[in-house]
Amino acid sequence: MKFIQLAAVVFLLGGSLRAGAQELYVFTEPASNMAAKSIGVRITNEGIFNGGGNRTMPEVMFSFNKNLMTHFQGFFSDMDGKYRLEGGSVYAKYRFLSIDDTQRHLRAAVFGRVSTSKRPTYTEDINLEGDNSGVQGGIVVTQLLHKLALSGTVSYSKAFDVESQRVTGTLQPDQMIGYSLSSGYLVLPFVYKNYNQPNFNVYFEMLGKTNPANGKSYLDLAPALQVILNSRTRIDLGYRFQVAGDMAGRYNKNMYLVRAEFNFFNVLK
Amino acid sequence: MKTIKYFIILFCLFIGGNTFAQQISKAELQVNGLTCSMCSRATETSLKSLGFIETVSPDLNRNVFVLTFKADKKVDLDEIRDKVQDAGFSIGDLSATINFKNTQVDAAGLAELDGAVFQFINAKSKTLDGPVIARIMDKDFITSSAFKKQAAELKSETYLKGKGIVQGKETRIFHLSI
Repeated sequence: MKFIQLAAVVFLLGGSLRAGAQELYVFTEPASNMAAKSIGVRITNEGIFNGGGNRTMPEVMFSFNKNLMTHFQGFFSDMDGKYRLEGGSVYAKYRFLSIDDTQRHLRAAVFGRVSTSKRPTYTEDINLEGDNSGVQGGIVVTQLLHKLALSGTVSYSKAFDVESQRVTGTLQPDQMIGYSLSSGYLVLPFVYKNYNQPNFNVYFEMLGKTNPANGKSYLDLAPALQVILNSRTRIDLGYRFQVAGDMAGRYNKNMYLVRAEFNFFNVLK
Repeated sequence: MKTIKYFIILFCLFIGGNTFAQQISKAELQVNGLTCSMCSRATETSLKSLGFIETVSPDLNRNVFVLTFKADKKVDLDEIRDKVQDAGFSIGDLSATINFKNTQVDAAGLAELDGAVFQFINAKSKTLDGPVIARIMDKDFITSSAFKKQAAELKSETYLKGKGIVQGKETRIFHLSI
């Protein structure tokens, strides 16, 4: 099983060596920021097939300068019964390294997140995009090598201790180390003619977490498709599923994601 | 009729007082760090916000933007660099078409054109006239690795700073390769 996974990863990474690279990852953020003085608006819907509920996340992103950007998110879901507003999140990313060369660049950024959610906690896993209240900090490094865009993230999350939200008989979320490895490539167009051509991108990401207190871990694979229209509008379609490890009561074990993003360039003064 | 003549004279005076010869008519700008048409579009939008730019034509496959400039506005190359960097990218190459007017390049490779000072790194003791395509070699106009290499060759304080003392004043000096 492990070997097959490794082979799949190598195969997919190899595929991106022969294509144009993209770093607009669907399940993680790259080290690069949006263009300065731009605003992005996103609406993301994620859910679990066969009645696990749906979450809608409206999001607005501001890019103040070439190095600093922020995201503001809201969470609405019917995962605990009635569809309601459950919380929100503020995310900031600061790019501290950028080495550009012809057809290759290396970028690194630090990021932080603060989230609230009024959902009850069912698991020791921490998901600050809708399920838990807490803080997160991390570092992301993105490398473009000719045709291959690779990105890795390491993060630390700490859940706010809200004992009252814990469902009896489940583990209390406390802290998590997160890590991810992402690759992406451009399938279409083969040759650019103008900005109005749709871009079609394929992504493959590995998302893992470990609880440093007990060593329990899991690893998800997350393939995704993306279409970019008029070089302004982005549509994402992704699915994440667990391939290794486990944590009792994990909520986003098998989850689909649909997103639309609209960009407004050079609008901030 | 007289009135019309006066008007014409006044008009000519008014316009004539604003004569400005455009030094730089065109530039080809290669941008590094772009990975998608969305990045290119953002960069183009950013460049178009500069008052002296007439048109921006992108070549998405080569990550090149061909810029043309308004005839009556002074081109500021440093502002172009800032816009590209603001968008989150960097200049890999900027080659400008500079219109010289019997410009003398002295024995040290220095030349002056309408108040702009140029240091040629591969030309000296010659006269330049008419349009010449010159590559800007200064920091942040070429890749950082190319700049380091060039700096090691030139061993020049002026090159490192992009500034030098000209006639007792600290002046922006562009280093050109033709």
